[in-house]
Order: sequence, then C-alpha cells, then structure tokens
Amino acid sequence: MKKIISCSKAIATILDGSYLAIGGNVLHRAPMALIREIARQKKRNLKLVKTAGAHDIDVLVRAKCVASVDAGFISYETEYGLATYYRKAVESGEIKANEHACYTVISALNAAKIGVPFMPCRGIMISDLVEANDYFEKIMDPFSDEEITVIKAIKPDVAIIHVNACDEDGNAIIEGPNFEDVLMSRASKRIILSTEKIISKAQVRLNPEKIVIPSFLVESVVVSPRGCAPGSLPGKYEVEDTVIRNFLEKKDDMMFEEYLEAYRIQDQGKGGVFAW
Amino acid sequence: MVTNLLKEVHPADIMVVTIANLLENEEKVFHGVSSQLPMVAILLAKATHAKDLTYLNIPGGVNPQSLQLSSYSSAGYEVYANAEAIFPLEEVFDLSMRGELDVAFLSGVQFDVHGNVNASVIGSYTNPKVRLPGGAGSAVLIPTVKRALIWRSKHDPRTFVEQVDFVTTKGNIDRIITPLAVFKYQDERLQLESISPLTSIEEVVRQTGFEINTDHITVLPLPTSEEMRIIQQIDKKGVRYKEF
Repeated sequence: MKKIISCSKAIATILDGSYLAIGGNVLHRAPMALIREIARQKKRNLKLVKTAGAHDIDVLVRAKCVASVDAGFISYETEYGLATYYRKAVESGEIKANEHACYTVISALNAAKIGVPFMPCRGIMISDLVEANDYFEKIMDPFSDEEITVIKAIKPDVAIIHVNACDEDGNAIIEGPNFEDVLMSRASKRIILSTEKIISKAQVRLNPEKIVIPSFLVESVVVSPRGCAPGSLPGKYEVEDTVIRNFLEKKDDMMFEEYLEAYRIQDQGKGGVFAW
Repeated sequence: MVTNLLKEVHPADIMVVTIANLLENEEKVFHGVSSQLPMVAILLAKATHAKDLTYLNIPGGVNPQSLQLSSYSSAGYEVYANAEAIFPLEEVFDLSMRGELDVAFLSGVQFDVHGNVNASVIGSYTNPKVRLPGGAGSAVLIPTVKRALIWRSKHDPRTFVEQVDFVTTKGNIDRIITPLAVFKYQDERLQLESISPLTSIEEVVRQTGFEINTDHITVLPLPTSEEMRIIQQIDKKGVRYKEF
C-alpha cells in the first residue's frame, strides 16, 4: 500500500466537521504545510484540539475553517502577543472557545487512548470552567466520599503531525520534544503525517526504539521539507520572524491569499523557494 | 549616587532577583510558555543559592545547560538540548497531580483579594468582551502544586480587582510578584508583603483595585552588582524585558 501521497490528496480526505488534533506546541513543530492546505481547500466547521496553539490555530480561523477550539492556551508567546484572528473570532461569536487546562486536554486524549468515556482529574475543582463547560463534570468517587472532576474523552477523527523523518510506510522519528503528538497518535482514528524527509526501512530497523509512531497507526505520509515554517522545527530551523509579523499586522484578505500562495510550492514538497 | 543607581535598575531585574530568592535548594520547579522572566529567575537561583534545584519545562528538558535564551519562546529547543534527562510536560503535570511538584510559575490577567485568578475572559464566558489566551495549566496546577508563584508585568486597578470576571482557578498561591510589589496569600486574602524600591506605598495603593493593609511592609532590596553580573551572563539578549 502506497502511503506517500501529495499534500492535497492527503488533506482532501478530511471531512468538514471533523475533530482535528494538531501536533506540536505553540510555534514549535506545528504541521503548518498541512494546515495551509486545509485552508486552501476551504474545509469548514472543524473542531480543533491541542494543548497550546498559536499560528496554526490563527491560520485556520483566518481561513474560516473552524467551529470550535479545545485548548488550554491559544496565543503566540511574549514576543508576538495574542492570536489576534482567533481572539476576534471568539469575541464575535464566529467560533467557540472550549477552554481546557492543558492537562485536561491530555486527560481527554488519554481517555480516548485507552477507550474509556472520561478521565478523572485532580485540581480542577474550584473553577468556573467546570460550570461553564459540558465536558467537565463533578462526580462522587465511588470508592470514597470525595468529589472528583471528570473530563469527557476527546477522540479526534484525524491527527495531523509533523515529524523529522519516517520511512515510506510511516514509521516515524521525532527528534526533540514529542509534546502531545505520540498521545494524539494513539487517541485519534486516523493519522496524516508530514515529514521533513523519507528514510529507508534499513535505517528504521537499525534503531527501532527511535520510532515513536509505528506505521500501522499511520494512514498517509506527505513529504514537506520545512513543513513547520514559519514556525520552528526544534533543533533544525527557527521561526521566520518577518512572516509571522506580517501575518499578524497585515489583516486584509488579499495578504492572507498571498501568504497561502507564497508557501504553495514549498508545502507541496517540490523544492520551491519561499518568498513573501 | 542612590538616585543614579535607581535610574539604572529595571523593574524586571528586581522581579528576577525577588523570584529567585523565593526558590529553595532541592525544589522541583516548573514554568510554561511565555515565561521568560521566571526562566531567568530559575537560572539565577540555580547559579547562586539553589544549585540542586530541579528545573522542569514544557519540552521536557531536565536541568538544561548553557542556554541561549530565545526571545520569542520559553518552550523552545534550548530548554531541551543539553538536558540531563527528558521528563515531558504530561509527566510534569502528573507529578503535580500526585502532590510532588514544589513550585509552578503561572500568570493571569485579573487577580482578586480572595486569591481568584482569571486567565480566561473579560466579560462573560460565552459572549466575552475580550477572549484571553486561557489559563494553560493553571486550573490543574495552581490547586495541586505545593506553591504557585504568580508573576505579572502589569500592576494596575484593572489587574488587581475586588472580584474577577471569571474564576479560572483558585488554590495554592504563595505569592504574586509585580513590578511594584509582592503580595502574599495568607488567611484567605492577598496581603501586601513588600514593595519595590522604585515605587511608593501610595502608588501601590493607587494601582491596586482592592483595599490593602499597609502595615508591616518591607522594601525589596536592589539587585547587587554580583546578581546583575550573573543575570546579564544568563540573559545576554535581555529576554526578561520582553513583557514590559
């Protein structure tokens, strides 16, 4: 079975309204090539899940792909400030912010990972988040007289994850921090990987312990060198500072079209040079 | 002479030293995203009185060494590379859940006299006037960590309010550190403990939206030249000033 397919074919399999888990953390190792292709294909009503997102969420919101975002933190960090498109869309009622603590996203994914409907979680007792959201409930611990908050499972339809390398079947290596990506790969129904490069089966068999996502979990593989840009791939490349600043400052739709267009060739893995 | 010295001192430097002095040797200490200032404070503590402090972060690098601090992230590769072990975020949370994390650095946008923290919304949750980034780990960490240290680079009546718009969480706040002052959470209230040498009690009262008791207030020391030398060595690019 041939798993290496084009970016556009891989993303075409994502249905409107899907629950979509996004790998990486803030500006680090987010699968931006796949994110931009979702924007180009104008997917609608996606339900996004991530512990801490930034540019990825902002791009999908700007492209009007999003119905809701389940996350603990959506913002760029200190230097670039708030995720301005996300923020405005929540304030106007265009999208729904389902605020989690980062760990309650992890709990929700862990529940899906082990096939149970919810996960108990300590800490989140005195919080208006429990009243305000239907995915948190306080129940009695059946083994004691104490109350505990439980977190409803989140089983994403698709996880999109960028990796440093994988073989043609999707046996994948992540160098540097895994964040929640390995968990997402176990909790989600389908996985689409983007990868910096393809390595041989022989290389994989040399160090099987390096494979954090085995191929039997992976549906398709997209080759996307610099697939995290303008975000970073930890240890490999840094953020493209000007691109992020332009994205945040130049708010008209034409500029966003130009942004998507400028990355098109690079995103499709044809070795084009990015210029915006 | 003293006046000249005061002019040269940035509030961030006083905050860094104050925070570092709140950390104890052998404590397990965590910070998350957007946390450059606590990061510098942790490294200062480790370089001075708390050599055996365990430094934990989001990428999972335990006690990373020779850091080139990043100006746009406190969750980057630099806190993962050259670590002595990898202990990822999920496990740092687990550690706190079972009551074994000593210190977590968190922030928020509104704080009230009762120790409630709001990092979620201004206005209503479902129809917010301002959607804030969210509390990140706060809602599970502040109630479970032994000591939550909160820092905020703004100190004004909109930040320190009588009642927060939304309670993201409440729990084991130890202290809140701002450019003007340090509050200690004691007897179920935020109590003013000390003020910066760059301000006055009158200014702190003016900039705080709830009533404060101004008895027994101490003035924080200025950073020593040795502390400043180490801070500059740790943070050559001045990432600690980014929030200001």
